[in-house]
Amino acid sequence: MKNYASSEKLAIIKEAFPDVEYDEAERQPAVFVSGDNLNNLLTFLRDNDGLMFGRLENVTSVDWKTHFEMVYSLFSWENYEAVTVKVKLDHDKPVVPSVTSVFPGVEFEEREVFDLMGIEFTNHPDLRRILLADDFEGHPLRKDYKQTMPPRVRHLVKGE
Amino acid sequence: MPQIFPKFYPQNLVTMAVDFIEQILLYIFGNQFVVDCIFKFMGIGAILGVISLAAMLFTYEERKVCAFMQKRIGPNRVGPYGLLQSMADTLKLMTKEDIIPLGCDRVVWALAPMLLFAPSALIYAFYTFDDGVVLADVNIGLFLLLAISSQAVLPFLMGGYASNSKYALIGGMRTVAQMISYEAPMAFSLLGVVMITGSMNIGDIVKMQGELPWFVFLQPIAFIIYIICATAETNRTPFDLVEDESEIVAGPFTEYSGMRWALFFMAEYANLLSVSIIATTLFLGGWQGPILPAPVWFWGKVLVMVFLFMWFRWTFPRTRVDQLLEFSWKVLLPLALVNLLLTGIGMYSVKEFFASF
Amino acid sequence: MLKTETYTLNMGPQHPSTHGVLRVELELDGESIVKVKPIIGYLHRGIEKLMESRTYIQCVPYTDRLDYVSSMNNNFGFCHAVEELAQIEVPRRAEYIRVMMAELNRIASHLVFMGTLSIDLGASTGHLYAFRDREDVLDLFDLVCGARMTFHYIRIGGVIRDLPAGFIEKAKAFIDKLPERMAEYDELLTGNEIFVRRLKGRSVMTKEMVLSHNMTGPNVRASGIPFDIRRVDGYSIYPELEFKVITGREGDNWDRYRVRFEEILESAKIVRQCIEGLPEGPVMAKLPAVFKPPKGEIYSRTEGTRGELGFYIVSDGTPKPYRVHIRRPSFVNMQGLNDMCAGYYIGDSVAAFSTIDPLMGEVDC
Repeated sequence: MKNYASSEKLAIIKEAFPDVEYDEAERQPAVFVSGDNLNNLLTFLRDNDGLMFGRLENVTSVDWKTHFEMVYSLFSWENYEAVTVKVKLDHDKPVVPSVTSVFPGVEFEEREVFDLMGIEFTNHPDLRRILLADDFEGHPLRKDYKQTMPPRVRHLVKGE
Repeated sequence: MPQIFPKFYPQNLVTMAVDFIEQILLYIFGNQFVVDCIFKFMGIGAILGVISLAAMLFTYEERKVCAFMQKRIGPNRVGPYGLLQSMADTLKLMTKEDIIPLGCDRVVWALAPMLLFAPSALIYAFYTFDDGVVLADVNIGLFLLLAISSQAVLPFLMGGYASNSKYALIGGMRTVAQMISYEAPMAFSLLGVVMITGSMNIGDIVKMQGELPWFVFLQPIAFIIYIICATAETNRTPFDLVEDESEIVAGPFTEYSGMRWALFFMAEYANLLSVSIIATTLFLGGWQGPILPAPVWFWGKVLVMVFLFMWFRWTFPRTRVDQLLEFSWKVLLPLALVNLLLTGIGMYSVKEFFASF
Repeated sequence: MLKTETYTLNMGPQHPSTHGVLRVELELDGESIVKVKPIIGYLHRGIEKLMESRTYIQCVPYTDRLDYVSSMNNNFGFCHAVEELAQIEVPRRAEYIRVMMAELNRIASHLVFMGTLSIDLGASTGHLYAFRDREDVLDLFDLVCGARMTFHYIRIGGVIRDLPAGFIEKAKAFIDKLPERMAEYDELLTGNEIFVRRLKGRSVMTKEMVLSHNMTGPNVRASGIPFDIRRVDGYSIYPELEFKVITGREGDNWDRYRVRFEEILESAKIVRQCIEGLPEGPVMAKLPAVFKPPKGEIYSRTEGTRGELGFYIVSDGTPKPYRVHIRRPSFVNMQGLNDMCAGYYIGDSVAAFSTIDPLMGEVDC
């Protein structure tokens, strides 16, 4: 229902940040940015008078097996538009700067991503596991996650 | 005025019966002291019986009243109309495991429920259930009553402190704050009655209400203050911060189980009965009333008061700590003092008025 | 000089007033609260991971278990997202029924809120009154889908079956009765001095605070921001319906209570409009036997009972979603808990836990 950012708006972004990439052929092109530039881009999106993406609605991540992708869904109430910002991360050592300094309301969501997907956030105020136990091993939402079975109770299993 | 109709009050019957039993016992033992002792023990037994019965009856009543207000049915399984429910509850409580929390101060912890029950039962000695039906007819009954009932603060703190639980400790601290701050306006509200009667003997106060109108009409402010303070003293909603189940689980009772908890429970209902009896005797004319026999009047009034407290409990939300204390010190206490002043002025002017004739 | 120390008090996961299995670590200075730390995850079931190994159609029942007090809204949210992804046209009658169900469920959910709030404040009578009315809504749901919880009535492409005979009359009777019942609550709770004083001016959240914590739903509307996705996005048939977006002024506990109270009446109005305008026709779109949305991704949001309920779905063209992320409103709202409690008393914290209205099934996912 909601509009996606028009190509002019995307052009404004491209003008300010030459290193962002987006595929114009797509219906709703996501804006790819490098992790170092992420905070700057989000600040720009939030504060620019023409864009005014004041709400960071959703923060999540996708495991594409070869790499991770951080997905930030932004929404501008004033212009009634949405835009998606994505960051590609290395699969072996995924680290991304935290955006809590720009949007403080994503603290829990980033912690959730850290907990379930194992992506490190630098400069996060309180980076701990949020849903799983502190001594939990592994990150369940990764595609290569194998669940270890709970230890069997010996006397209940026949023949052991 | 000549007495045309002989007074046929059952209290006369009771006195007659007591006299009769006393004669028989005197004949058997031949020693007045032994007979007196036996009578005192019988009295104590009777009072403990009243308290236990009240606890059971009130549990049932409370649940039925609450069910009625909440459009439910309430207990209806054990016995006719669920009357034996409290019996079943008692049996369950007695058979429950006695869990002693780890790291608690055992002696203090075990003493607390007993010590709480003792003063609540002790004050029954001064209640005048009927003309002359009182275990200890002392001149300063009202004073003793206030003095002893304020001892109930300590066991809460003991239980809360000894339980080794933060919820219990917070509950204990709250109790002290709450009970001490409501003790003052309560005492002041009762002083108005004492000023009018000039006596602290409870029997005398009741008899005075036969000559004057009931004190609820002479001392309406005192009555309202007393009711509010009594609700706070018995830790019932809207002032049940002590056992505030949504904040501090069960306050000082959190770690108690089985019969120990039941003792707290019994003390609570003994207190409920207690404050209702005080309200009845001091403000509602005690056992006096037309046509019906005295015990009916007395217990009828008491039950109405109990119902009133239950009504409060099931309609009001709970206050907050700061509101509770503010209400006591900033509203009730000044009001009680003003009431004393008004009583003094009123009594003086009435005396002058009658003296002028 | 006397020295004081703060101490910590653990509330929950088993505590009478933390809804469900919320655990809260309170740092207290006597009776007043210095800091609050919500500790969550006791009900984590890994729904997002489970959905990756189920087909889209099999995913829908999992959404029932998210916010189990308002399952219809969750079904609606997920189906809406999948339909947006696959661009399925839903029949009009189905849209009407969906909105009707979602609003009825909003009524039920807000009634649960009122009940729990009043029991948290010690007025257990209000609790049972609220549950009495919720029972009527559950009876209606029982009629349409045979369940009183976890309905799984709204499916991808429409609803599973048409309304049964007699439903419209019963729903109408309920809607007619509701204002009377609400007047009863007004007398019991709103007219009570203690109740008002417990809530007014406590746990104040200003506009800046709710925005910085990214809160949504009645919590943000209570602070005076008319952010209602039903109005902002106008999904489904909401643009055709008349309803007010209720806002508060102060953002205190009282406003959060009043906003939900008024929203019940607004939802009732929406249900009435749906009943009156209910068109004839099919209730299910034609779906292929093996449902495969095209490759792509979508972030779709609906207004759940507790705020913005968003589903981020990545499809790789197979019958199973590649990745599902659920933006649970209760989870995000939970960030505001510290600001709502710090500086107030323990008694206020209980009211704050209640008025933020978290549902642990949703928080922990």
